[in-house]
Amino acid sequence: MNAPKTSTASAAEWFSVLARWLLGGTFLYLGAHKALHPVDFLKLLREYDLVHHYWYLNAIAAALPWLEIFCGLLLLAGIAVRGTALVAFGLLTTFTAAIFHRALSLAALKSIAFCAVKFDCGCGNGEVFACHKLTENSCLLLLAVWLVLSQSHKLCLRPQL
Amino acid sequence: MNTGDLPARTSRWRGTRQVVGEALLVLLAGSALGFLANCLSPRGLGLAHDFFPNEPKLPVVAITNAASEPPVIAGLKQNGLQWVDAAQARQLFNEPKYLQQQFIFLDARDDSHYQAGHIPGAFQFDHYHPEIYLAGVLSVCQNAEKIVVYCTGGECEDSQFAAVALRDAGVPNQKLFVFTGGITEWNSRHFPVETGAQNSGQLQTQP
Repeated sequence: MNAPKTSTASAAEWFSVLARWLLGGTFLYLGAHKALHPVDFLKLLREYDLVHHYWYLNAIAAALPWLEIFCGLLLLAGIAVRGTALVAFGLLTTFTAAIFHRALSLAALKSIAFCAVKFDCGCGNGEVFACHKLTENSCLLLLAVWLVLSQSHKLCLRPQL
Repeated sequence: MNTGDLPARTSRWRGTRQVVGEALLVLLAGSALGFLANCLSPRGLGLAHDFFPNEPKLPVVAITNAASEPPVIAGLKQNGLQWVDAAQARQLFNEPKYLQQQFIFLDARDDSHYQAGHIPGAFQFDHYHPEIYLAGVLSVCQNAEKIVVYCTGGECEDSQFAAVALRDAGVPNQKLFVFTGGITEWNSRHFPVETGAQNSGQLQTQP
């Protein structure tokens, strides 16, 4: 009688593993790309006009790529999963809001449709269409929310600290 | 009030507190790792260095709309810098004073771009890594009459920031010129390009 419940629970557990690896892999790849080209990332970050003092700009450009790599590794290995997913959620929310704001400015500046805006968002994969990037980020945000709420410990080295 | 809910609520609260605690720990450890890795990495950024000195404070829209003037020119004017076009740059390059290093060219791009192709004899000055390049370039600048700084061209502002960095380091402003067209325009006019290190003699033949 419990078979369907068990199978649903098992599917949810496997989905959590997949979500963790997908989110972790994405963070690791994008973070590594930025860490290898910190000056390029610094220049792109400046275009967002988020902070005005050079020290903060340098600090974000220096530390953020490595924080992403760190989160990516923790998620892939399954260490402090829910806490790391919460950090990933916070980072993704900030990135998404910044990309949305920048794409809006570019659409107004070039007098083109929002989804026609293509720019290097500093996300680590060159020039992208704003709508594609925002959709991708929304999917990653959903995965992060799933992991924050999930209690699954499947294939985790140390799910809680 | 259902007192049976209390243990469940307490457990949820503990769970939330633990997740937030974990998140803060990850954030702190990740940031500390980031600063440490930046310090140790040869590509690391100098945190206390302003890489965009005197950058235009006008919003991009205002600059771009100002009588259809390219933002780079607006930035040069705002910084009080002089500039040269491709023909003037070539003229300076052809002068005998160029061979005597009275006129010098500075390439403000990174090492990979410099190695891939630069104006023959140009010195490299990647102003994002002053600890590597500034001291060497300053001694050459002190003896030069005219210093032409260039980067990729187009919207690239690195030549402008490099020129300001040199001025801040004591190079007189009247010696400094920014070649706005950069290496892109130099290439498009089929002017000579050198690959590899400075004075490597490996001249690229332009089609």
